Amino acid sequence: MLGSSLKHIFSMAASVAGLLKPWTPSVVLVRWSRYNPYYLEPEVRREAYSRPEAELSAEEQEERKLKELRPIKAATCSTTSSVFDDPLISKFVRMIMTDGNKVLAREIITQTLENIKRKQVEKYHKTPAGKKEEIECNPYTIFHTALENCKPVVGLASIQKGGKSYQVPIPLTDNRRRFLAMKWMITECRENKHRRTHMYEKLSQELLAAFEKEGNVIKKRQELHKMAEANRAYAHYRWW
Amino acid sequence: MSAQEKVRLLLSRQNGKPVLKPNRALVLKDAVAIRRPRKGEATCITEMSVLMACWKQNNFADALCSTEISSFYTCVSKAQAAMKNQSEQSLHQGRLPPKQALTLLKRFPNIQSEI
Repeated sequence: MLGSSLKHIFSMAASVAGLLKPWTPSVVLVRWSRYNPYYLEPEVRREAYSRPEAELSAEEQEERKLKELRPIKAATCSTTSSVFDDPLISKFVRMIMTDGNKVLAREIITQTLENIKRKQVEKYHKTPAGKKEEIECNPYTIFHTALENCKPVVGLASIQKGGKSYQVPIPLTDNRRRFLAMKWMITECRENKHRRTHMYEKLSQELLAAFEKEGNVIKKRQELHKMAEANRAYAHYRWW
Repeated sequence: MSAQEKVRLLLSRQNGKPVLKPNRALVLKDAVAIRRPRKGEATCITEMSVLMACWKQNNFADALCSTEISSFYTCVSKAQAAMKNQSEQSLHQGRLPPKQALTLLKRFPNIQSEI
């Protein structure tokens, strides 16, 4: 009840932009995911604060002055200013997590990265001296490139026209593409692998395959592209 | 002639039949009808068709179609920015969207009684 009334106030304040004044409701929750758009995002990176005054004078100075006066949203528990903080890995951990067991999800991911590193270092030591530079040993870059290779370019949406529903190819936002890549990766590892292997083993196999542009997730992505290409005649059914 | 006098003329029975025979009071409501916005056109169709042709030629290999993919992405980002600007521009052109008009009317309704 309180949430819906707050939502109403926020949506009202957000929609009527001309009346957007420095205004906060009398009852404020400390950590909340929906804030008045008057609140600014927190700056977590350490490098942003260690820069001297003489960088990017006009914009930066203005932004800093603004941040001194405006209220700032509370940072979430998962954001850190450490060098090991990777937003993509954090997102993946949250997607793997079930029943709120983030410790287990994070363990799985760290074991996956370790496993990837082990396999790559083994490969590195086995290759002859001339080809050693081509082996990528950094598990984070492997993770990032594998996910990039899994992201689809166009997606399909079910649009109803004249009583019949058609699969129409549509452009996807970056967030949606990243979500689809991660979702396919996780479902593929959970369902289509041998049940006696650990999740970190399955994930590392699939990530290394995606890095080489092979494997079931890449196949799924190509199938989506083929479906989109087959349905390209219906592209005009979109209205946005 | 003011609006009140015009309305009085339209309702009067002195010059024959009245022009208006309202069954409700001639009073403005505190709400506006929310009409669905006009359906637009599909954006970035040419870029998409070019991309699909490239895919068909190269058997869906993405390494060979990188230029088409990047041009498609730029088109998509431009279209999204244009959509965002359009919703802001409608405010500046003197035309208030029905939802915002509704919230304003709810906050500042018509006067019901004299104070």
